[in-house]
Amino acid sequence: MPKPKAIVLVVEDNPIIRMGAVDLVIAAGFEALEASDATEAIKVLESRPDIHLVFTDVNMPGSMDGIKLAHYIADRWPPVKLIVASGQTVIEESQLPLGARFFRKPYDDGSIVQAMTAMLFAGTNDSTGVTHVGR
Amino acid sequence: MDLERSGREIRNLVLNAHRLDDGDEDHVRLLLAVSDVTDARAAAKQKDDLVREKAILLQEVQHRVANSLQIIASVLMQSARKVQSEEARGHLHDAHHRVMSIAAVQRQLATSSLGEVALGPYFKQLCESLGASMIHDHKRLSIAVTVDDSVVNADRSVSLGLIVTELVINALKHAFPGHRHGAISVDYHSEGASWSLSVTDDGVGMPTGSRAPKPGLGTGIVEALARQLAGEILITDAAPGTAISIVHDVKATVGQDLPAAA
Repeated sequence: MPKPKAIVLVVEDNPIIRMGAVDLVIAAGFEALEASDATEAIKVLESRPDIHLVFTDVNMPGSMDGIKLAHYIADRWPPVKLIVASGQTVIEESQLPLGARFFRKPYDDGSIVQAMTAMLFAGTNDSTGVTHVGR
Repeated sequence: MDLERSGREIRNLVLNAHRLDDGDEDHVRLLLAVSDVTDARAAAKQKDDLVREKAILLQEVQHRVANSLQIIASVLMQSARKVQSEEARGHLHDAHHRVMSIAAVQRQLATSSLGEVALGPYFKQLCESLGASMIHDHKRLSIAVTVDDSVVNADRSVSLGLIVTELVINALKHAFPGHRHGAISVDYHSEGASWSLSVTDDGVGMPTGSRAPKPGLGTGIVEALARQLAGEILITDAAPGTAISIVHDVKATVGQDLPAAA
């Protein structure tokens, strides 16, 4: 039996950027789920307790932006790792939950994959059972 | 204090009282100045509002630009992952690097208020991002950036950044075949209106004569941008390796510029 792949949830309202993000997650050897706003993301997280990492945009329609979503996830699902990306220049990692990473758009796919791998690897020590499946 | 009178608008008054000390302690005199600052305050508030509005608009525009560049970058990387041909993949990666090079200028501009870009931090960011995506073994290949404190306008910074991008990509691709170790250095310095940009590698050197490769898009981009910046391209054998410089020497070109001004 192959070891289970790490599962990454991509939250992004722009369909082209979301497609690209899902593609980069799959190319990195992880399994990808997607949502187009915070409400949908929370629904997916409620139905899939096996999600290891959420990669989210900041500006999205709906009542919750990516920063609020990140804090909500950190409170409700503390083991889930967080990567936040935005074109806004005013955001800093200090506005995010502890341990979350911030990338400015346009991000470099390689840097995102590196960050995901590093964060998911760190997770192997606290028994989340994540296996890195190579780049 | 606010002066309220029935049927009239409230006026903002500033009261300023001073005790006049003329040595006569039995008759204390006060100097009271009353200024009506209603209009001045309204004008100051309007100005503050405009400044705030402008800052918000600017942020909004920068955010949109970043998002648009992200769409382009996402599409390019998706096609790069999908195409079968290794050559096509290379071209798509190059296109992606060019987009990221322009995005790096946007980032520098977002943190400056005058529409000017400091070349040092910009080139450093540029080369870090090129290194992150193109160098797989950082012990084997490195990029060093040496730039003085030159500051240029946004248009020039885009052109200079694209030249650096092309020359660094070219050196990474061709100067170190096999598992050859090496270093690339990017230098920029200016004095008055003269400036010089060079990208030097200690690789295998450029093939010459009939073995020289046909110039690609990268060469075309560098030539066009050098011409736009009134720079001369100099290629020298760095033994080992190659040095490519774009030089704008005011002393050398003065006089040549004049007839062209017609």
